[in-house]
Amino acid sequence: MADAASGSAADKSVQVKLVLLGEAAVGKSSVVLRFVSNEFQANKEPTIGAAFLTQKCRLEDRVLRYEIWDTAGQERFHSLAPMYYRNAQAAVVVYDVTKATSLEKAKTWVKELQRQANPNIVIALAGNKVDLVQPSPAAGSSASESEDEADDATATPGEAPAEASDAENLRQVPREEAQAYAEEAGLLFFETSAKTGEGVVEVFTEIAKKIPLEHILASSRGAAGRPGAAGRSASQDVSLDENQSKGKDACNC
Amino acid sequence: MATISTHLRNFKEPDKDEQALLFFSIPSTATGGPAKGAPAPGDDPEKMDINAVLSLGGQSQEDPYAGKLHLIPPYLAFVSLDRKSVKFSLPLCTIRRVERLNARAGIYALSFSLWHGMKIVVQLTSLRPTADLFCELLSKALKAELQAGRMKAVKPFSKTCYSENLVLESSPVADNEREDGSLIDGGEKVGVGGAPVFHGGLGLKFKFPGDPKKLREASKTKLWTTYLRVHGRHLTLLRYPQCTRLVQVGLPNRLRGEMWETLSGSIYLRFMNPGYYEQILADNKGRNNTSTEEIEKDLHRSLPEYSAYQSEDGIGALRRVLQAYSFKNPETGYCQAMNILAAAILIYMSEEQAFWLLEVVCDRLLPGYYSTTMHGTLLDQRVFESLVARCLPIIHDYFQEVDVQLSVASLPWFLSLYINSMPMVFAFRIVDCFFAMGPRVLFQVGLAILKINGEKLLQIQDDGGFIHLMRDYFSSLGESAHPDSPDPRARAITRFQELLLVSFREFAVITDETIFAERRKYRNEIVTSIESFSKRSSIRNLKTLQRFTKDQVGLVYDALFKAVCIEPPPAPVQPPIALLTTKDAVEERPETRIELRTFRLFLSEIVTWARDDKIVTNGFQQRVDREVAEHELIDRLFYFWDFSFRGSLSFQDLVTGLDGVMFNDLMENIEWFFNLHDKNKDGFLTKDEVLTLSESMLFIFRFEVGDAYLGAISRFMSNAFEYGDALLPQSEGEDGELPSPKIESNQPYLNLATFRMVVLADEVLESFFETDLSASFRLEPVPLMELPTANSGLLGGLWSTLASDDNKKLFHKFSDEVGKTIGRHQVIHRPSIGRYRSIEEPRARESLLTPSMRRSASKSSLTQDESSLKTSSASTTSLPSTTTAVSLDTTSSISQDSIASPAEYNSLSLVQAANAALMERTPFAIDDAGDEDDEDEEDEEEEVNDGVLDEVDAFLEAHDPGVSDADRELSKDLINAEPVK
Repeated sequence: MADAASGSAADKSVQVKLVLLGEAAVGKSSVVLRFVSNEFQANKEPTIGAAFLTQKCRLEDRVLRYEIWDTAGQERFHSLAPMYYRNAQAAVVVYDVTKATSLEKAKTWVKELQRQANPNIVIALAGNKVDLVQPSPAAGSSASESEDEADDATATPGEAPAEASDAENLRQVPREEAQAYAEEAGLLFFETSAKTGEGVVEVFTEIAKKIPLEHILASSRGAAGRPGAAGRSASQDVSLDENQSKGKDACNC
Repeated sequence: MATISTHLRNFKEPDKDEQALLFFSIPSTATGGPAKGAPAPGDDPEKMDINAVLSLGGQSQEDPYAGKLHLIPPYLAFVSLDRKSVKFSLPLCTIRRVERLNARAGIYALSFSLWHGMKIVVQLTSLRPTADLFCELLSKALKAELQAGRMKAVKPFSKTCYSENLVLESSPVADNEREDGSLIDGGEKVGVGGAPVFHGGLGLKFKFPGDPKKLREASKTKLWTTYLRVHGRHLTLLRYPQCTRLVQVGLPNRLRGEMWETLSGSIYLRFMNPGYYEQILADNKGRNNTSTEEIEKDLHRSLPEYSAYQSEDGIGALRRVLQAYSFKNPETGYCQAMNILAAAILIYMSEEQAFWLLEVVCDRLLPGYYSTTMHGTLLDQRVFESLVARCLPIIHDYFQEVDVQLSVASLPWFLSLYINSMPMVFAFRIVDCFFAMGPRVLFQVGLAILKINGEKLLQIQDDGGFIHLMRDYFSSLGESAHPDSPDPRARAITRFQELLLVSFREFAVITDETIFAERRKYRNEIVTSIESFSKRSSIRNLKTLQRFTKDQVGLVYDALFKAVCIEPPPAPVQPPIALLTTKDAVEERPETRIELRTFRLFLSEIVTWARDDKIVTNGFQQRVDREVAEHELIDRLFYFWDFSFRGSLSFQDLVTGLDGVMFNDLMENIEWFFNLHDKNKDGFLTKDEVLTLSESMLFIFRFEVGDAYLGAISRFMSNAFEYGDALLPQSEGEDGELPSPKIESNQPYLNLATFRMVVLADEVLESFFETDLSASFRLEPVPLMELPTANSGLLGGLWSTLASDDNKKLFHKFSDEVGKTIGRHQVIHRPSIGRYRSIEEPRARESLLTPSMRRSASKSSLTQDESSLKTSSASTTSLPSTTTAVSLDTTSSISQDSIASPAEYNSLSLVQAANAALMERTPFAIDDAGDEDDEDEEDEEEEVNDGVLDEVDAFLEAHDPGVSDADRELSKDLINAEPVK
């Protein structure tokens, strides 16, 4: 991974700005963490405004560098969101499959993005915490998950760990319903579990496939003509170096 | 729709008295919770200020300072002429004795003895009568304090303060301390003889962050001990230049919490409200509010690297403080970032201290930062951006060029006081300065960060690069700022020291006044953008726009917003957590729902008959006085539109309701009106309902000219009862021979078909239902509500006082009176429909047209309706032009006022350019900055102290006492003078 990044020409690495939106406590930060690194303890940093993370990802012969803005979910931070989603090429709107209102909130985010954000933005809808609604084997893990404190954000306070037989009852958003909505609104759709890792990498891979990479490349090349562009490659090199250590556990897309 | 917030509009600039309170960190009784023993309202103690020279008795070496002495009961406050060197705010109850001094003739001096024996002498330099008056007020205020019984509270309170223990000759606490100030016995606070012990934070048990040797705790504590002995402490701290300098080198761990509350003034709240914190916790035990869950989620995400927050000790304290705050301030509740702040201050102070400090931060120091709109945060980001443009124009221009937004990095700096951005030890030193010097510190440090990183910032390409650069910089704050310098003393200067030096030296021009002025300048811009943002998202969040266009719905929103401004709906009540809630129950997002009173206002904006427009002519002016109509019909409409039967309407309800009537043709309107009056929806009106319906029509037509409508309604009533009786079901079988008079007034009587027939029998009513009813609902631009003028120049201020609503009313009343005396006063009610201008009698219709014919006719009129809707000019209004001209007059004079501002802005930008030129970096005073080499210093304490003081001197600014040598002599004499017998 690291070899690929440094070995190939610098212009092969495409920078993609991605923003995560969704109601508080649906697990946005956990999804990003699962994607960026597997160390859960690494980021217990609370999200004020937005947390900023980067991750490289390979797609066929291209290297994508995701710049991820993980926004705060609290309602009052809503008015700050445009600052983070402007110029974003991709967005992941997260909801919680065990909480019907979180899908409603997700829909308003989608509406807002489709009207206010970059017109070519690729939007993915992700129903998180799917581990909570999976029967038997997964249910065992979900019960233990509640002890995992807030880092996983799955443990919504007051939510009793489910009995295995009740697992499907916890689900408030049927997969079919969300999928139908996603199709209608032209979104990528996934059900994910930041806890088990299910579906997380796929979200980012599918986004990578759908993004018009050539277009982005062309526009960033165009920008190279600007004054101060000399600094661009320099600063990029720095960040590439810095990411080398992390590069090892980058996703194998 | 989420919530509509109007409180931003109610903002008032602080007046002179409030500014004084802010400056002296004195709590206003309004915000400080129920201050016990406060004087009864109405019995407002008088305030006064007077010119004075302050000198300090005892062992002090301080120069006398000229300044102003303020009596702000229950406080006495002083500030030196330069407004920064010397300052104090003393609660009157700490004063034990006031004496007039026996000195040279013509000198009027007072000596104050404070409870712990400190003596200050104040020479009143104003004219004799003024000084006499001041003394009189002072003695009155002191008596009031004595009666309130607070004097007795001082001593027990002082025991809760660590500094009191520190200044004792043989400190009982010293033996039980580690080097960093934490307790050796693990924080088991045992008071000797059951006496209450001093407050302290989690650090006592879990250790304080940072290396105590590196922080030079011991020498800092020693310096502070000396200072506090001489200059008073906690409630009575006098702030001389040395105090600020000691703060700038960093407070010692042990003293930090108490100094924070002293410097910020939150200590006065704690002193004035004993037991309040415990009480609010007890009162709300076991209760949940909207914030409870949000707080719970973040407890484990607040400074998790600090050991206390990995245990129940820390988590519990954090939970209690945040919950107590959210119960005390339900409107603000809890905002992410408050957890960080609370977690940080709890390391150094007790829960009660933290609770009051949080109150002061959210209410006074960073107003609006954590509110539901976060307008304070947005405003200060805007202010910061403008300061960057002014002080660092190159960086600002470059950011614009590469489209990098400053706030992506700077927003968390401000919101968490840098605690979330920098390593804690450094952030706390900024927090020290913040509490001592106020919010300007945040801006100064922010500017310094950008300036120091200036060259690298000019290389970044996007937001991400900016964040990365800042992160790298913050993680290197402990490193040497000049690693390659040959001078070891220069090498010893850390990047953090460099940051503070740049902040306070090069950005000393940023004062509190700068910040206040900038906030004033951008306030309206922010309010407008927040309001339009919430308007857009409210409209976007509607489930359906029905048949309206977005612009039309915008007009509905404007009318609603105006109504909510005038008559705010009750705060959304969180439904009690029902025991029966199943998991299927859909949780409601909080949204603004209006009640009947607000609805009446709303409707009066849109519906012509829901208001009384009185056209008043009195020979001088013609104007329209609008009153909100009240009638059963309007209330009926309210409940008719309450589709979810909740006794309140949402924005969506209003849109749907309006849609139900505004696009109707003749038949639909007749049905709509029928349904509106068919309360039980059984398809029949009762006799009572027929009467009510007639009354409704009378109400709608109340201001119409002529008798046409009156006649129509009376015909309607007679027809309705005639047809109604004729068509009663019983009579059908009996060939109409037996009319059934037995039908009760509340039984089903008239069905829709009959009603339709009766209406269509009358030309007047037909035309009303065909076009006029729908057209009486008009979406017109709501006249913009004025925001309080921001540029409170002389003219602006003058205008806003003159143009207040009350004054307008007064003026109108006056001109009406004059008009009456000269016989030119005339009031006309503007008709709601206005179809018949002259008194003409339309014929009653003989035959009924077939419905199909009607339909085609009404189709065309519908399209007409829509076009008139768009232009929003109502063809049927009788008196449009003159009235709008009147209202235009007033608005144009307002806009003139705002036009003045661009010119002002231009001259301002010249000043900005000049300032920018001044801002050129001055060479570092490396020699001034202290020797940091730890190894050399460890042996001799004296040297350590010098080192600290050197660092202190680096911040030394010229302090002008503003006193002549002769005055200085006099002050010396006064200290030793005898009181007047």
